[in-house]
Amino acid sequence: MLAPAPVRAVGLAVMAVGLEWARVLALRTPDWQALTLIAGGLAMCLLGVGRSREELGIGRSRLVERLVGGIALAGVLLLPAAARWGGGPILQPEFALAAVAVSVGEEIAFRGALFATLEHTFGPAVAVVGSTAAWTLAHALSHPPAFLPAVAAAGLLLAAWRWAVRDLVGPIVGHVIADLAL
Amino acid sequence: MTRGTLRRAGLLAAAVAAYALAAWAVAPGFYDGIAPPQPYRWVSPPPQVKATNQQPLSGHSTVRVASNGKVDPGSIFTQDGQAAIAFTPGVFVTPPDRSPVTIDIKPVTTFPNPGGIHLATNVYCITSSSPLAAGQQVLVTLQYSDQFPAPSDVYQSQADGPWQKIGNTGSAAPFYVSARATSLGCFAAGYAANAGQSAQGARVSGGQTLPIVVALAILVVVLAGIPLAVLRRRGAAGEDEG
Repeated sequence: MLAPAPVRAVGLAVMAVGLEWARVLALRTPDWQALTLIAGGLAMCLLGVGRSREELGIGRSRLVERLVGGIALAGVLLLPAAARWGGGPILQPEFALAAVAVSVGEEIAFRGALFATLEHTFGPAVAVVGSTAAWTLAHALSHPPAFLPAVAAAGLLLAAWRWAVRDLVGPIVGHVIADLAL
Repeated sequence: MTRGTLRRAGLLAAAVAAYALAAWAVAPGFYDGIAPPQPYRWVSPPPQVKATNQQPLSGHSTVRVASNGKVDPGSIFTQDGQAAIAFTPGVFVTPPDRSPVTIDIKPVTTFPNPGGIHLATNVYCITSSSPLAAGQQVLVTLQYSDQFPAPSDVYQSQADGPWQKIGNTGSAAPFYVSARATSLGCFAAGYAANAGQSAQGARVSGGQTLPIVVALAILVVVLAGIPLAVLRRRGAAGEDEG
């Protein structure tokens, strides 16, 4: 027997935030960091299991347009950093696969499964705000407080896209490119 | 265009504007913490991290002279990634025998008194077998601890001389700070001791590829978006006629 929809939505949010925090805490030991990141990303993807592609926003219709949209999102996400670019080292190769796993996992969990559950239960406004709040909370352990408004704003932008275009491919593509570039 | 479409476009535009404002307030803006900073390795650890501290590591590399007679570009890191220098072609003077240039980065225990500067990192001395060419610069990048106030600038001391502020050009990620230097010597990041905790925090980053990634993103969107919009319009016109 399934729990009531609001309970499922809150449970999903707690699981998504808990998985992110567990990954961050596991990363505080110096060993197997890339593997920890990949495992954390894959665990987040599991939150989308049992849902249809359309429900998660990863159906195949208008795929080219959504991919281009994802590249546009990446441009928006990276523009503030690029405009103030000062040069410096880049992401080490062993973390590139980890970056893909984490960004895909976060999108499936927050803008995919959690967004769909919140929208189904409470409507689109709560889905946008709720998934953004959970995503921001999930980053509270890994980011200094000064970074959290930017994290929240990025979450709001990606959730707004998810609602406006009914699409998760764009946020996934944008998030992956941004993580790889920074 | 329907009211629903306009509403969606309006919300998206508002979200883009909100993100631009929030991301501009703190550099680099978008950062997902993929490469988390390792616990900082101190030469002289503060009491609260003394029990778990590991000694910092040094870096050593050689850079060859290219067929055009210029010393190759490169990035040299310490083995723990806490200090690095990056340079473009021809920054180092080409040795007369065109032998490779050796570069070393070492954390040091003794250095000139920083006086009114609070050093927030180890002091790293960078040496090379061939000097920098006149008017050339290297980019020095230093990691700092996430457990203590962030430094605001990089400082340099040459030949046991006084510490001088060389600025802050930004770095590749939070917990890194970079500055351009016109000579080698000893480097550390810090802030004026009377400034208290630095409010500046981490600064902008980038990596060498970041502006290229953004430029490519804009190019792809423009090049792909126009034909897609034309196709959609033709499709809609076809439906209207049918």
